[in-house]
Amino acid sequence: MTISIWRYSHLLLAISSSLFITLASITGIILAFEPVSNQLETYAIHNLDNVSVATTITALQHTYKEVIELQVTNDNFVTASVITHMGDSETFYINPITGKKLGELKEKATLFKFATNLHRSLFLKSTGRFIVGIVSLLLFLLLFSGIILIAKRQGGVKRFFSNVVKENFLQYYHIQLGKLFFIPLAIITLTGIYLSIEKFSLLPNHQITHTTAFINNYTTKAPKDFPIFQQTTLSDVKSITFPFSKDVEDYFLVKLKNKELQIHQYAGEVLSSYEYPWVAITSYWSLLLHTGQGSILWAIVLGLACITLIFFMYSGFQMTLKRTKKQLILKNKFTKDEAEFIILVGSETGSTYRFAHLFFEALLSTKNKAFIAQLNDYNSFAVAKQLIVFTATYGDGDAPTNAKKFQELLASIPQQNSIKYSVIGFGSLMYPQYCKYAVDVENRLAQHPNFEAFMPLFKINNQSFTAFQSWANQWIAHTGIPLTIKQPKASIDLKKLRSFTVLKRSELNTDATFLIQLQPHKKQKFQSGDLLTFYPENDLIPRKYSIGKINNTIVLSIKRHEFGICSRYLSQQSTQDIVKAKIERNHEFHFPKYAKEIVMIANGTGIGPFLGMIDENKQRKKVHLFWGTRTKASTEIYKDILNEGLQNKQLTSLHIAYSQETGIKQYVQELIAVQAEKIASLLKNEGVIMICGSVAMQNQVLQTLEKITTMQLAQPLSDFEHAEQLKMDCY
Amino acid sequence: MKKSIINTLTVLSLVTAFVMMGFTSIGSSSKYKCMIQMKNYTGEGAYVVISLLDANGKYVETLYVQGNDDEWYSDITEWWKFYGKRRPNIDSITGETISGGERKISVIEIPDDKIDTGYKIRFETAVEDQEYHVEDVQFELTSQTVKSKVEGNGFIRYVRMIPQK
Repeated sequence: MTISIWRYSHLLLAISSSLFITLASITGIILAFEPVSNQLETYAIHNLDNVSVATTITALQHTYKEVIELQVTNDNFVTASVITHMGDSETFYINPITGKKLGELKEKATLFKFATNLHRSLFLKSTGRFIVGIVSLLLFLLLFSGIILIAKRQGGVKRFFSNVVKENFLQYYHIQLGKLFFIPLAIITLTGIYLSIEKFSLLPNHQITHTTAFINNYTTKAPKDFPIFQQTTLSDVKSITFPFSKDVEDYFLVKLKNKELQIHQYAGEVLSSYEYPWVAITSYWSLLLHTGQGSILWAIVLGLACITLIFFMYSGFQMTLKRTKKQLILKNKFTKDEAEFIILVGSETGSTYRFAHLFFEALLSTKNKAFIAQLNDYNSFAVAKQLIVFTATYGDGDAPTNAKKFQELLASIPQQNSIKYSVIGFGSLMYPQYCKYAVDVENRLAQHPNFEAFMPLFKINNQSFTAFQSWANQWIAHTGIPLTIKQPKASIDLKKLRSFTVLKRSELNTDATFLIQLQPHKKQKFQSGDLLTFYPENDLIPRKYSIGKINNTIVLSIKRHEFGICSRYLSQQSTQDIVKAKIERNHEFHFPKYAKEIVMIANGTGIGPFLGMIDENKQRKKVHLFWGTRTKASTEIYKDILNEGLQNKQLTSLHIAYSQETGIKQYVQELIAVQAEKIASLLKNEGVIMICGSVAMQNQVLQTLEKITTMQLAQPLSDFEHAEQLKMDCY
Repeated sequence: MKKSIINTLTVLSLVTAFVMMGFTSIGSSSKYKCMIQMKNYTGEGAYVVISLLDANGKYVETLYVQGNDDEWYSDITEWWKFYGKRRPNIDSITGETISGGERKISVIEIPDDKIDTGYKIRFETAVEDQEYHVEDVQFELTSQTVKSKVEGNGFIRYVRMIPQK
């Protein structure tokens, strides 16, 4: 079945039941407090499995004139209906060992009464119960379709619990919480459905039938000597009705959790025993599991599950809104037969559209005739010269929803003229089938007689804008069409920027790099690998630098670009100047706490965060730094820090590749290839590899690492990425 | 001036009336144990209302109510005509509903002057989405019947009563 059917049903179910689910969740949250507060009451008895029925009965008969009934509630309260020596008929909570009164029966709080009623019948009696039952069923189906969607997205059931790629906050937590809460939610919905079915007598009938034995000869015993009373503890008891009169025929009626017994009031023999059928036992457990009665922990889980449901509703609808928004942008000025540049998009969540649209706008603004459509809208193009395909991949290498029909259309619709094509794949290295569908599209186009490759397939990891820009630059160089791709503006309040004092700035090195050391004015939490974002011209376009934390100050390694506004601005700062910026936490790229051995790979200024991590390595874990730079002179500004690290044993080994040095031209991936065996054994022993630097270097290094893992360990690199043994921050 | 006299008189007469009523009901009464055994019907727990009726069958007093969710009280229509008007607090004489096949013992209190004087006791029953029995069990209160067993016509199999010594 296709993904879209599941997604549409998921959405449809959500729309049809959202109002009721929200109501049920809110009341559910309120009701979760009831068992919690009950368990905290003084008359909740927590050691019922240590108290025998004989003890309690004896204590009660000793304390009161007559005992009518004893009950143990699901909240572990023990109540007794008695007639006191004063002749008053009373019911109250008791201490089951002494029989003494602990307190008056507490009425259910009005709030809980109200919430219960709303929760189970919306104040509509039977009609309401029916509606609630149906909604429980819908919620279960919603959950089921959600689980399927997660499995599809993760690329198979086996990978259900593997890491989720964080595209944005709502999507990430919608899935994470789904994975975390689907079991409690399944329990809530199934028990809810069961309780509703029970209310409508849809379950097999069961009738309590007793065949009471008669005993003629017996010796009278006191209840405390009845073996059955001695053997049964209160934790198994639901209620005990005392004999109605002193007549021999009247008996103790003992209701346990799984059966009820009639017990001779003088002989103590079991006269009859009736085992409850599974229907009754299931309803007992359904009630406990659905309400959380008797268990604080479970009640809290139930409450959290309700909060999660509300979050699901909110995030789900937000995601849908975003998705429709993203897809509504296809407004063409030119028809498909007028346009020279055809942009086709395959997008599942809509984020690929963002890039396609930037490119489309750039073409239009330079007076090029461009046409944008979904891959599913593939058609004949009368005057097209170039086809540019932007496509994501869904789940385990499948086509996104709006590209499902593309391959079929490509084969059946003829083109009159020859068209040059380029494919850009969007994906995440976290998935083993990284950009698989883009590869498929590329292959199909290559085989097609009317298409001719223009630029090789280009893959973009985690929607990196920088990577996209570098593709665009290549395209511009190839075509000679001067495009300007506008970077989407961040939504940030410039007033929220913090001040940092410049402590030190190194002189510009021969290769235009420099180090700058900053002190935050206010105390802020940060770590090496976090990002420092500048908005140098108040133009809302962020420039990010990876932080190295050394002695609680921020050290940035920066290369000054001739036209780089931010790098030039920072290169002109001197000691005591104040700059404005914002720290962004980047939890995926922190120094790993648990790994014993770490390999750091960087090129150029990508060394920055690693300088801080070496400083952070007070435990002297084995840390190996592989660094690619231009010339020996480039090391000048870093050498003090690196040498100190080596001396303190906070840095175990240092491997530098010089790409511009005469005689020994080398790249960092070549250094790694030489160490293949060591790298493989490090990965095998749960070591971590961190990469920081340019996307070009990252791609080369990843290729080398992929070779190492497949050759030496017979495993794809993505396995290690999933195990969080591969951390990357590239630009 | 006149108005205030009338007001004072009204208040006084009302107070007297209440005091008188108080005295009459303070008159001696006895406790009875009463066991209700339900038939093996299926469905929700039954609401059982035990009331004291005078010789003409008019409600005098509510003795016990099995069923504490007052949203359903109006479904016990005959009793509701009596109780629903004023809705006095009956918290101390309410218990839980009784399901099919179950039994429940409650202690009820009946004024002594209502025994052997033509007064009746009524057990009316109602189950959610099922029938309503006005006279599931009903019998005249005599010194004999208060220690007897009476068969029911609706959801109740039988009722047993004995005086509480």
